[in-house]
Formats: sequence, C-alpha cells, structure tokens
Amino acid sequence: MTISKLPFLFNRQEKVLIHHPDEHEWQFIVQERGELEAFFLPINQNLKVSVILNGAGAKSDIKCAYLSNENNDLKLDIQVLHKVKNTTSNQQIKGLATGESSVLLTAGIEIPKNTNGCEGYQNHRGILLSDKAKISATPQLEIWSEDVVCSHGSAVGPLPDDELFYLETRGLKKSQAEKLLLSSFFNDIVPGEFRTHIKEWMEQNV
Amino acid sequence: MSAFLEIKDLHAKVGDKEILKGVNLTIESGKVMAIMGPNGCGKSTLSAVITGNPTYQVTGGSILFKGKDLLKMTPDERANAGVFLAFQRPTELPGVSMAQLLKAALNAKRTFLKEKPLDAVQFMKHLKVRATALGITDEMLKRSVNVGFSGGEKKRLETFQMAVLEPDFCILDEMDSGLDVDALKVVGGAISVMREEKRSFMIITHHDDLLRYVAPDKVAIMRDGKILQVGDKELVAKVEEKGYDNF
Repeated sequence: MTISKLPFLFNRQEKVLIHHPDEHEWQFIVQERGELEAFFLPINQNLKVSVILNGAGAKSDIKCAYLSNENNDLKLDIQVLHKVKNTTSNQQIKGLATGESSVLLTAGIEIPKNTNGCEGYQNHRGILLSDKAKISATPQLEIWSEDVVCSHGSAVGPLPDDELFYLETRGLKKSQAEKLLLSSFFNDIVPGEFRTHIKEWMEQNV
Repeated sequence: MSAFLEIKDLHAKVGDKEILKGVNLTIESGKVMAIMGPNGCGKSTLSAVITGNPTYQVTGGSILFKGKDLLKMTPDERANAGVFLAFQRPTELPGVSMAQLLKAALNAKRTFLKEKPLDAVQFMKHLKVRATALGITDEMLKRSVNVGFSGGEKKRLETFQMAVLEPDFCILDEMDSGLDVDALKVVGGAISVMREEKRSFMIITHHDDLLRYVAPDKVAIMRDGKILQVGDKELVAKVEEKGYDNF
C-alpha cells in the first residue's frame, strides 16, 4: 500500500506556532496557556516531531499510531521540551510491525533545571506480528528539576498468549482472535476518520 | 454409548514439572461433578489441559468428550464442540468489549454448527435476558472485558458468558474464591437454571462455599496430580470436617 501523504490531525489555534519543512517533520511551539492536540499516523514513513512548551500553563497531547511492513525501516522521533514552569505533556504511541520491517522509536521528555510544577507522561506499546519484525524503543527522560510528575512505560512483544487463549476458549480461531485484538488495539488513540487507513493496512498485512 | 467425558491416565507437565500424574475421571451427562483438593494439587491444570492451554504439555493419557478425542482438537474446536471454562483469573482484554466478544463467540459457534449468524436484534435479545438475570448492566457490556472490574464482577461476567454461549460442558475453576454470599447465590442460581440432561458441570473448588448453593451429584478428591476418591456429596462434609490429609 502506498500513502504518499502522512496522515495527521491537529487543532489549529493562535497559541500554537507551527513549523514544518515537510510532512515528516513538525515543530510546535506552544505559548502561554496554549493547548496542542496532535495525531500522526506514519505508515511505512519516518516522522520527527518536536514540541516546545514555551509558556506557563502550556499543554501538549501527542498521539502517534505507526504501521510498518515488508522490509521498511521507520525512524520515529518525538521530543517534548518543557521550557517553562507548570507545563504538561502527554505522549501515547502505539504501533504494529510485520514482515522484516524495523522501527526505531526515540521518544523524549526534557524538563530543565528550575522548571517546577511540570507533568510529563509517555506510553508506548508495540506489537510484533512476525518473527523477523523489530521494534526498538528508547525512552529518553531528561529530568533536571525535582518538583515534577513524570511517568513512562514501553512494552514491545507479540500479541499476549493469554489474551489469545482466552478468546480461543470462547470459540474464536487463532486468526480471528488476533484480528479482534488488533482491531481494537488503536481504538483509544486513533480518531474515527483515520480508522479506514488502519483497516486497509490490516487487510493487506495481517 | 460412550461417556460424556472420560479422562484416562492423563499426564501433563509445565516445563519440566509433572503436575498431572495419571488422572482418571468419568463424568456422565447431566451431572454436576465437584473436584475438590488442596491448593497446588493440579485442579486448575486439569481444567487448562481439558481446554487446550498451550502452556501445558500432555505427556500421556486421553480425554474423550462425547466420544471425540479432545487432545487432537484446537482450543477453539473444543469450545465449539461445547467445552467452556469459567476462568479462575479471567484475562483482561483492553479495547475489546464484552458485547463484541460475545458476538464474535456466538457467531463462531453458529458458523461451526453451519447456522446463520444472529442478526443484531436477535443477538441483543439473547444477551439482555441473561444480563438482567445475572445483574449485568449495559455499561458492563460496553466496557473492555475484565478491565477494571472487581473480582466478584469478573466471576459474574464469566457466568454470564457461560449463560450466553450455552455450552454442554461447563468447567468452573474456583468460582467461589473472592465471592461474597450474594454473588455466590447469583452464580449458584445460574448453574441451577442451566442444569439439564445434556449438560454437565465440573466445579473446581477447595472448600464448600459454592457447593452449598449447587448440590453436586458426585465429588472427586484430587491430591498430588491424581484423583484419589470419587464419592457422593457426603464427601464435601468429610473434607470440611477433616481436611484433605485423610484421603
């Protein structure tokens, strides 16, 4: 499947300055009390996102769903800098890799010294759908301030055996169980209008 | 005529550890068999092996279910042939709702039986009657399976799935652990309603809580990977009085 454009969505508002040299590279500067919500769906495409929370009360919520197949090499880089006090960020990243593809994810949160009252959250889950696919995720947390709340988690692996078995005991074939689990995998982060892209990709690759 | 369920000299291990060491057990059609035994005796392993859990390796023996060799069937084939397990610790399925799961499960069974899938109205009707009887709300049907539910709610949802799927052979693994009296009555009531000539139950437990609400036809005592004794329901009282050391 070829999608020339990288599907994305974000809320347009005055308090968020946007710079993007091309569709694979995005920089957002969120000003005082600005709120950024953005979603990206790289399908066998690279993505570089940088967010600078540049004013008190600035918030960012970045969601990314990635899909990779065949022998594609994906590089995903999502960085959030809490430049000032009392800023909040959230990153939710989920993806599937199959075939002989490989995904390299670097996701970072930086909270410099004396930037108190910040909250930064990051969560990633990657599912390997073939023995040869690879996902390597490197969370980068650079927290230099003490008065902050931060959490991050990353899990990569095949679909959990216990979830598949539970569905099989309810009469679903293994392939049906896989499809049911995968069809709901992205539900919490993917906006409705992008689900057809994922469905099409799954029909061809799962 | 072959027995409903016939287990002969069943051996199974996990890793290098043998857990089932020659289980022999027969369950007749329309009967409730209680399997009682101390923790770690292999009761849950027995249920896992009957349902085809790949964690366990069968190293010997046989299981015939209505004359069919269960060990040659995949877990989904066993389910569609009528084997159901209410899990001791039901698995969480984030993102999959109970309604979605049951629709997929019912349609898988109907496809297996070469019947047409239920339409949306028939499906909801089939669900609602049973949900109401078991105190399952619409909100519980819409939420992700087993995610964020209390222990008691999970057990009720397992019972609900059993009522919806109407299997011939129902295995309930430690349904009474963590259940309060009201929930025990609900689960016990559902089993009593479902008791009929073509359906059998295997109730796995280590005490008599659930058996106070469902009178078993037979009781098997299991220890150290084997069935030591099979008797009538008086055995339950003997266990409660004297423990498992006397078997």
